[in-house]
Amino acid sequence: MKFGEWVKTLIFYEILMGMKATLTHLLHYKPITLQYPHEKKPLPPNYRGMLALLRYDDETEKCVGCDLCEAACPSRVIQVYSAEVPGEPTKRYAKEYYMDMTRCLFCGQCVDACPVDALGMTQEFEWAVYDKRNLQLNKQQLLAIGDRAFPVREKRIEFQHPNVAYFNVSFGDIPQKDA
Amino acid sequence: MVDVGIKLALTLTQIASVMGIVLLTVALLTLLERKVLGWMQDRMGPMEVGPYGILQPVADGLKLFFKEDIIPAGANRIMFSMAPVLSLVPALIGFAVIPFGPTWNVEWFGVEFKPFVISDINIGVLYILAFASIGAYGVILGGWSSNSKYSLLGGLRSAAQLISYELNVGLAIVGVLLLSSSLSMVTITEAQTGGFWRWYAFAPLPFPQFIAFVVFIIASVAETNRTPFDLPEAESELVAGFFTEYSGMRFAFFFLAEYANMILVSCVATVLFFGGWDAPLPFLQFHGSLEHLEWLSGMFWFTVKVYTFLFLFFWLRATLPRLRYDQLMRFGWKVLLPIALGNIVITSIMAYIFS
Repeated sequence: MKFGEWVKTLIFYEILMGMKATLTHLLHYKPITLQYPHEKKPLPPNYRGMLALLRYDDETEKCVGCDLCEAACPSRVIQVYSAEVPGEPTKRYAKEYYMDMTRCLFCGQCVDACPVDALGMTQEFEWAVYDKRNLQLNKQQLLAIGDRAFPVREKRIEFQHPNVAYFNVSFGDIPQKDA
Repeated sequence: MVDVGIKLALTLTQIASVMGIVLLTVALLTLLERKVLGWMQDRMGPMEVGPYGILQPVADGLKLFFKEDIIPAGANRIMFSMAPVLSLVPALIGFAVIPFGPTWNVEWFGVEFKPFVISDINIGVLYILAFASIGAYGVILGGWSSNSKYSLLGGLRSAAQLISYELNVGLAIVGVLLLSSSLSMVTITEAQTGGFWRWYAFAPLPFPQFIAFVVFIIASVAETNRTPFDLPEAESELVAGFFTEYSGMRFAFFFLAEYANMILVSCVATVLFFGGWDAPLPFLQFHGSLEHLEWLSGMFWFTVKVYTFLFLFFWLRATLPRLRYDQLMRFGWKVLLPIALGNIVITSIMAYIFS
């Protein structure tokens, strides 16, 4: 062992350097933690949070009951019971719509699959509950989440661009118009 | 007879106040440690209870007080109940010989007493060492009587560790005892009065006890089971070591004992190596016309020194990882022990030459 190293061992050089490092952090105290329930980190805009069903601006549901979300879901979260709109034989809607959020893995494939953009992912993530049954949501609950998370709503497809109205599908990649 | 009554009342008052201060300091330390550790690791520490978390010790105490007291199946009930007491009492009892302020003799109703030391016995250092060793029994018995392998391993580790490092503490102190030629804490403090160059850690002649001080501090950290020598309660290996099976107030007793031991060790280091209540520079204490307030500055300096050592404990905990078991043993027996012995030899030779 070299003499210098020997002296370093003798005066606890490495330990003193370590203690200097901790002391520097103490003197330049700048916490990197957030006091979570009081302070929250801003989420990215494409955050995949709680799922929600959306409405048009005239309060009608967007969902047309096509079952594509059910087919796209890898963990079988969604159950759709489709039915005719009473009095309008050309239109269908989801009579019942259930989501078992205990199984959801927030992949967002249902949102991608939806042809009318009836599903959305909100920024909500604080969905810890004491009873698992509270995570099995029905249509009313999902619509309520959508109402509070997406206050800005689209016009009905029929009143949008003629092409959109003709094919009766929306184009999710087209930037949304201002309400 | 009246004299004895007054003497008893005074002593009991002293004991009560010292106990109260020590336990309050323990409560403060639990908060300070978490805060300082947090600050050093770029965290905030406890922030929820009260403003900036200052009421956290109260919340902790209440929680521990109301917890269920569990005695595990197959545990030795008597030993299991006795162990926390056996570890707390020696930690608190050591404060009886610590001089917290100037050694005055105050006469009150015809009874002489020293207000700042409970009992100035002439074997103070020995007394503290003896009771520190008894405290080890609490740890070992607590580990053994819990009927749990983790507790037992923690207890055994602590037995080996305490025996190895007790020796180093004892040998590190010997240099100071040679220089002051006394075992009384009060006499040792008085021998160092007059500024920091008279304190045994720095006194140039006959021989500065700084090396002994470093050995003493390292061995004390090991003896109080603090990081980096916290093998008896190594969280990642032994759950919580010897008090894995304890809950409620029994756990609180072990906790109190650990922190009281920390304070005691800091007090001993202050008294033996850093001049006790002596001010670092003579003009930094009340003198002349303010002579009667000397106790105030004395207690201030004592507190400052003790808290410096307590901060050192936190600082080490924030910095250093835990040693491996064989490293611990090798360091204790092959490094610290020869250094302490060498220090004794050199100190005695120098003391013989210069006196």
